[in-house]
Amino acid sequence: MMSSRAIAWRKLRFRFDWTLTLAMLAMVALGLVNLWSALQDRGPQLFSKQISLLAVGLGMFLVVAAFDYRAISRIGYLLYGAGAALLIAVLLFGRVVGGARRWFDLGPVHLQPSELMKVLIIVALGKYLNDSPALEGRTFKHMALPVGIVTLPVLLIARQPDLGTAFMIFLIFITVMLTARLKLKTLAAIMGMALISASPIWRYGLHEYQRKRVEALLNPDSAEAWQSRQALNAIGSGRFLGKGFLQATQIRIRRLPALWTDFPFAVWAEEWGFVGCLIVLAGYLVLILWTLKIASEARDRFGATVCVGVAAMLFWHVAVNVGMVTGVLPVVGVTLPLISYGGSSLLTIMAALGLVMNVSIRRFAY
Amino acid sequence: MEITGQDAELPEIRRRARVFALFAVFVFVIIACRLFYLQVIEGDAFYKLTSDSIIRTIVKPAVRGEIRDRKNRVLARMRPAANVSVLPREVTPESFDKLRTALALGPEDAADLWDRIQTDRTAAHDSPPRDRDHPLVVQEDISRAAQAVLEEAGQDLPGVKLEHTIRRDYPYGPIASHVLGYMNEISADELRAKKQESYRPGDLVGRVGIERQLEGYLRGRTGFQKVVVDRRGVPKTNIRDLVEGAIKQDPIPGNNVFLTLDMDLQKIAERAMRNANAGATVVVDVDTGRILAAVSKPDFDPNEMSGHLSSEAQARILADRFHPLKDKVLSETYFPGSTFKVVTALSALEDKLISPEEHTKCHGFFEIGRRRFKCTKTHGVVALYDAIVQSCNVYFYELGARPGMLDRLARFGTDMGLGAPSGLGMNGEEAGFIATEEWYREQKRLNPKNEGFQVGHALNAAIGQETRVTVLQMAMLYAAIANGGKLWLPQIVERIESPTGQVLEEFPPRVRRELSVSPENLAIVRQALVGVVNEPKGTAYKARPDDDLEVSGKTGTAQVRHMGKRGEPLSSYEQNDHAWFAGFAPSGHPRIAFAVLVEHGGHGGDVAAPVAMEITHGYFESVAPADRAAPHLGLPRRRPGRIVSSAMDDSLPGAAVPAPAPAEPAVAAAPVAPPAPADEPAEEARTP
Repeated sequence: MMSSRAIAWRKLRFRFDWTLTLAMLAMVALGLVNLWSALQDRGPQLFSKQISLLAVGLGMFLVVAAFDYRAISRIGYLLYGAGAALLIAVLLFGRVVGGARRWFDLGPVHLQPSELMKVLIIVALGKYLNDSPALEGRTFKHMALPVGIVTLPVLLIARQPDLGTAFMIFLIFITVMLTARLKLKTLAAIMGMALISASPIWRYGLHEYQRKRVEALLNPDSAEAWQSRQALNAIGSGRFLGKGFLQATQIRIRRLPALWTDFPFAVWAEEWGFVGCLIVLAGYLVLILWTLKIASEARDRFGATVCVGVAAMLFWHVAVNVGMVTGVLPVVGVTLPLISYGGSSLLTIMAALGLVMNVSIRRFAY
Repeated sequence: MEITGQDAELPEIRRRARVFALFAVFVFVIIACRLFYLQVIEGDAFYKLTSDSIIRTIVKPAVRGEIRDRKNRVLARMRPAANVSVLPREVTPESFDKLRTALALGPEDAADLWDRIQTDRTAAHDSPPRDRDHPLVVQEDISRAAQAVLEEAGQDLPGVKLEHTIRRDYPYGPIASHVLGYMNEISADELRAKKQESYRPGDLVGRVGIERQLEGYLRGRTGFQKVVVDRRGVPKTNIRDLVEGAIKQDPIPGNNVFLTLDMDLQKIAERAMRNANAGATVVVDVDTGRILAAVSKPDFDPNEMSGHLSSEAQARILADRFHPLKDKVLSETYFPGSTFKVVTALSALEDKLISPEEHTKCHGFFEIGRRRFKCTKTHGVVALYDAIVQSCNVYFYELGARPGMLDRLARFGTDMGLGAPSGLGMNGEEAGFIATEEWYREQKRLNPKNEGFQVGHALNAAIGQETRVTVLQMAMLYAAIANGGKLWLPQIVERIESPTGQVLEEFPPRVRRELSVSPENLAIVRQALVGVVNEPKGTAYKARPDDDLEVSGKTGTAQVRHMGKRGEPLSSYEQNDHAWFAGFAPSGHPRIAFAVLVEHGGHGGDVAAPVAMEITHGYFESVAPADRAAPHLGLPRRRPGRIVSSAMDDSLPGAAVPAPAPAEPAVAAAPVAPPAPADEPAEEARTP
């Protein structure tokens, strides 16, 4: 008994995925440096809060990595159901911040269940794909349940309203389904439908401020585009090598709203320049590619799907956030993984990476 | 799960995952290209655009509206002024020395200021760069001489800043100070509460009176201009890219307010109150309810109160036992004393408890149970007329003892505007207080130690020692008696004009209520009020004007019933009665009504009546001499009560009712001058 446990422990140590862990910790450390600069003399309590959240996140990372992911797969739908229940609850009892009902107020921590839901959807999709093999590739008839799995939370989240997160979930879903051998013809059909429905959604489904943000992108001189113009000024003025640590005057003086949550990349770009930006992008790329490598090595469809899903989540977050900050995409509330301030996002990403770690450790299990 | 080992889908998933990886790399490369474009290709342009740019918002204060009186004289305005401040990090001992001489600072003040500069200078080291050059205000509104000296020195005074501004100015000083109010700096709490109204820290807001009441009209809208400068202070042109929202907003001046006050009369009234330590007087137009003058003593100088009040002056004002900041016209209540007897008389007449000719005998006191209620003296046989003229308490005690009298007085008092704010809506106007039997019973229910309703309360109420009133309420009440029963809503603002002279709001006179008292009964009481001043036995006879102006009114000597708190003995000043006089003039065609109160002044006829006479005299002499002409009501025919025989009552029933105004033209035409008449001839002359 004792000896087998000792062997298991040694195996674990041997199989521990140091690349994944170190890449993650590097991004986290970089995020802390950036947060310190973004906050500066304003709100040191936010910084210490982020530190304690990081500790919780690391704990989650390890806990999620420790249990065999097949066990997690077994209760996948249960977890998903719990997440959906939280989403309904937040619509009923959540706290309204800035006109949106997204948060639970848990004393010092605000929980945003829509962030958590991203991982739970990935797990549920993984379970579905694992349970129903389709050797010929997936078409519409294989889509019924996955679409249901995604539609319910997307509608609930859009209702908050938080179109950014809803859209992210849609992107993750498409990416996962494509990798899970969705036929390209089917994808084309889906895209066609999306295009057809775009116009009515634009007209009736969006709030005024949401439409304005999209219009701001097309018209960079308008008053609505002020926020993105400030971000552009900050990034551009960083030039090749940046202004140096704590020198990001541009962003802080203008008091960009959501500076710590949505615009940390602008601070980073101003202080560390093009070189710093490349380092961050490279860091993310390592994380994403490594996660996809683990997906390729997974022994079953659940492991592979979950890893692809997490990689998709990382990729789309980074792409949309940086795209928004660099003025290519409209301003949506999408966080920069591991760097943005905010507990829900941080814990979600670390739990997701815990899953990846879990798959990585057990890739030789059978 | 069972067939995991041979998952046929996995190879295809791996292939697609690789495609996804390539896609991710591709997107990241695009992002890197975008960043390269922004930071390397356009980087210098962005850097230039943003480097060290500072947005300065230059506040353009709005010129506050003026306050003017009914004759267009400026009571409050803005005038140019100059403030001096120093930059603690830049000021040198030499420039400080020059500054000291220019401002003629005493050695103590100078040392104090130098200390503050040193403190700020050391504190500056620890504060963030932007707060370091915070100027320290040395003196506001410096003299023209000092200004000239400092301006000439100019560049030789490093660290000394002369700032030109505009300042609220009240040319009349303390005159009408409670009506005008004053300005001072907005507090942090108010800033938070008034977030929507775009106040900024350091803004002045109106504090009392019109300045506060019409703040929204007077204030105007602050303008601003945003300028973006670089570190050297050179303005940048691409301001649009750096500043959110509007770049410039022109200030909009405030509106001008025209008051109903007449500064000529106001000055006369202030002068008439010169001997009062504390008190109030108000003069209203009988036909409109507009306030022509309102004095509250002691007063304050709004010029001194506005801006930064020296702590010494503040302490002095707060410690003043006469409470100079309190508007005693509106925000303080008093027992009306005998001026209330008109209410008692009217309610008794109206409810037909008495007829004017009924009389009673005054032995100098009134006994009920084992208590004795004193009169001012022994008046003998008195009817209503004599009771008012000579202010006989016994007559009114007798009325007070009638069943239900307290509630009747409450009903009529309410009808005449007591017990509720008169509606000027300024300076926290007090409602006063009217007691009812129910109120006393309630008090007893709440606390069994209270005695509950006693007849004594009704007796006291009948002579004005129960109800509490404001000076303004009494003036409005007497105006209603004078004009035949119209209780006006008092007004102090006539109209508001825009800076260009457009009338924004006009306030026509408004009737608050028609008194539910018949004109005949009002006439009876009016006739008695003439007697108070013109009858030799009248309580205000000594104060009557020495010309042909005929004034009506009622004296009051209100006992200060409340003892000092916690049983402290009151000073002899504080034991003195409050002196009242309320009335109107001219008797034959009333134009103005007034109420005068001198706190702890003593006897109403001796102290308050002369003040009222000086005001009316001044008004009809120099302010509105045209309104002076009016028929004399004169003294009524011999009254039964005055002839000490009750038999006469029946023999002269018709004569008992005094003719309501106006009197016969023959009497009006006769220029009988009341000054120093021998009692008998004067009465003879007016007796048909």
